[in-house]
Amino acid sequence: MRTLSTILLLAAALSPPKPVWTGPSVTLLGGPSKDGRWLSYVDHGDLALRELASGRTVVITKRANGSKEFAYFSTISPDSRRIAYAWFNKLGFYELRVVDLDGGEPRILYRNEETGFVQPCAWSADGSQILTLLFRKDNISQIVMQPAAGGLPKVLKSLNWIYPKKMDLSPDGRWIAYDSFASENSGERTIYLLAVDGSRERRLISEPGDHLFPVWTPDGNSVVYASGTGVRMLDLADGKSRSIADNLGRVVPLGITQDRTYYYGLRTGGTDVYASEIDMAQGKSGGSPRPVSIRFPGRNSQPSWSPDGQWLAFLSRRGTETFGEETRVLVLRAAKGDGERELAPKLARMDAPHWTPDGKALLVRGTDRLGREGLYRVDTETANAVRVAEPVDANGCSPAKAVLCGTELRVGAERYETTLAKPTELAWAPQRDAIFVGDGSRLVRIPLDHSPVQKVDTPSGFSIHPNGRTIAFTAGSTNSEVWALKIP
Amino acid sequence: MTRAAGFVLLAAAIAQAQVPLGLDAYIPAPENNPLSIEKIALGRKLFFDKRLSRDGSIACASCHDPNLAFSDARPVALGIAGRKGTRRSPRIANRAYGKSFFWDGRAATLEEQVGGPIANPLEMDLPVAEAASRVNLSETELRRALASYVRTILAGDSPYDRFVAGDRTALNAQAQEGLKIFRGKGGCIACHLGPNLTDESFHNTGVGAGDEGRAKWSGRPEDTAAFKTPSLRDVASTPPYMHDGSVATLEDVVEHYNRGGRANPYLDSELHRLQLTDAEKRALVAFLKSLSGTIREGSL
Ligand code: HEC
Ligand code: HEC
Repeated sequence: MRTLSTILLLAAALSPPKPVWTGPSVTLLGGPSKDGRWLSYVDHGDLALRELASGRTVVITKRANGSKEFAYFSTISPDSRRIAYAWFNKLGFYELRVVDLDGGEPRILYRNEETGFVQPCAWSADGSQILTLLFRKDNISQIVMQPAAGGLPKVLKSLNWIYPKKMDLSPDGRWIAYDSFASENSGERTIYLLAVDGSRERRLISEPGDHLFPVWTPDGNSVVYASGTGVRMLDLADGKSRSIADNLGRVVPLGITQDRTYYYGLRTGGTDVYASEIDMAQGKSGGSPRPVSIRFPGRNSQPSWSPDGQWLAFLSRRGTETFGEETRVLVLRAAKGDGERELAPKLARMDAPHWTPDGKALLVRGTDRLGREGLYRVDTETANAVRVAEPVDANGCSPAKAVLCGTELRVGAERYETTLAKPTELAWAPQRDAIFVGDGSRLVRIPLDHSPVQKVDTPSGFSIHPNGRTIAFTAGSTNSEVWALKIP
Repeated sequence: MTRAAGFVLLAAAIAQAQVPLGLDAYIPAPENNPLSIEKIALGRKLFFDKRLSRDGSIACASCHDPNLAFSDARPVALGIAGRKGTRRSPRIANRAYGKSFFWDGRAATLEEQVGGPIANPLEMDLPVAEAASRVNLSETELRRALASYVRTILAGDSPYDRFVAGDRTALNAQAQEGLKIFRGKGGCIACHLGPNLTDESFHNTGVGAGDEGRAKWSGRPEDTAAFKTPSLRDVASTPPYMHDGSVATLEDVVEHYNRGGRANPYLDSELHRLQLTDAEKRALVAFLKSLSGTIREGSL
């Protein structure tokens, strides 16, 4: 008897995941309806539905052509009649809206410019409340219950500025499962239960590891969540968790339907940093590109050469990739040999690294642990990050007395129009008869004899070695797919 | 056309809220001391009970006066027989959301904290067990009841809270300007953040002399003269300011920050000269005044 049920269980657990939707139009911003008929998503900025069985799509909202507005996260009501969704409005922030599945006028449920971001996560079983995340201007995120009929949301809990990746309501409407950091100094997440009446909270999962994206099973007996590259399920009765699927990849769970089908997104592909030679005669990139690092393949981007040409700095992702601000480190790779060093400054987000002219630091666009955005100077020795007030510092002096000033290149008394709106880097051509100037996505060659500026054909996200012969660039892309898995 | 449904309901919804507007409905309490009506009522009685002091002359409320935002008007606390303490009585609203207690954070829970003033020779000067037996309770019962009551002292629903909740008329133009400075040029939000306007963490802002502050308990030199960031709720009603009551007015506090705090080897790296104009200083003070709202106590 026992063996039989074990075998049955295993059989169920082992039924392989199936791809449900692939291709360039997949977005992972919505979820399935409880009846398993629809999947909400975003189609060119409009809220849309995909009929899972037929692949038929219905676009619900109607953005005006060229409009700045667009739909973002969405969740379908339990009776499959309404969708709550975030809408980026004309005023420049997100508001919470609800619309009938069969069309009609959307209604605004929550619009508050003090709360620039909203994410509806789940409906209560009776359709009266929408569990929603608010993200305030002062960098506080809040777990709230928003009445579906309108009115002020009830704030249950305020968190620091890094917000849950996902929250879900138990079918009996009494508990919220959400993920947040395991402890104040931890980058790892774990799952908590918060009583909807605000009376209690407890940590649900105490095992070490990165546990996130909790979703309740329809019977309310278990919570299914992503853990590393797999999916696990915790039985609330005995507090034990077990694996449902391993080695799926980069999973972004979307929801569970009444018939216990678990829908999740998969992120595939990735980007890497390559180096390649520039063909001087042609003003074209030439030679065959070689990957700069073999550690953490598919996770690297945005290279920048140090002014002395000894180091290539780039960003590299760590941890599980999910939505929003992923964890990144700065890698410093020696130009010669395999020397590699990692800098993990105390910044929550980093982008667009480039070296300071003295070669002692990297400037990155970023957000600190208090959620303050700005330009930060990261010391390459200590990894200390300090906010710098003047972003134009980035356009400082070149290695050899060529200076970028606004859109202009100045070499001694000579001035050259770069033809770029915001040039940020420059390098001497090897013969020192020209200077390469780039803005991070385009590259031009400026001959010093004032002959016409030449466009250089390069991939985006590049950096030129000060020797003018080598460029490093980012190549590859990340794609999304939707998969389904039967939960035992 | 889309309709902005629900906004007319704002005022009604604010009135219905269970906790004052701006606070979390979830009020943390330890697993072994969940809030109950009985404990809260008992704790409330004890809070005003002078028997908890050796000579029966003072109660918790003597230093944490409900009419003064649960603080007092003195630069430093005054215990039994006119004994002068070394630190200022803090406002104790919203401590339920706190992470550590006292200016130096030496108590990890409110249950632990409430025994402190009872036993402190400069305050109530009575062994906690003795205080408990005077009121026919066990020490644990006394601590749990007092802690439960303190958890119900909740301050919110200020003009600031209404503004943040979406009522654009709740702050006048000057206070809105002050809020901008608070979040931006003033850098106040680096420490005074969240619903309770505190990071519950310790910083040296260059106030006071001779008090080691957090360093005494953490043993870390960098915590020298670092004190816990106080909540700024109802701050306007309780001068003088800081852990030693050494700063007389809100204008003086703003001046202190404008100078970048007082220079010393342990000064927090977030502080620097602000170069605020006189109008900006006035705006910041106007904003600080908008943090006064209603204080509710004693109910679940
Ligand atoms: C003689 C004045 C005095 C009396 C009486 C007194 N307190 Fe206090 N209270 C203070 C002072 C001063 C502090 C700060 C002490 C320190 O940080 O070292 C404080 C701190 C606190 C705190 C910590 C607040 C925070 O933000 O960390 C709480 C809570 C508190 N008192 C509650 C009580 C209770 C409950 C009683 C009665 C049992 C009481 N106090 C009696 C003066 C007093
Ligand atoms: C580095 C963290 C930090 C920053 C930044 C900061 N504060 Fe403070 N604030 C504190 C700490 C810590 C105290 C208590 C200091 C003490 O008593 O020694 C305090 C105390 C205060 C007080 C007195 C409260 C009371 O009850 O006595 C006011 C008012 C205040 N701050 C307002 C501001 C304003 C306005 C700004 C921005 C201009 C600001 N703070 C910036 C940490 C900070």
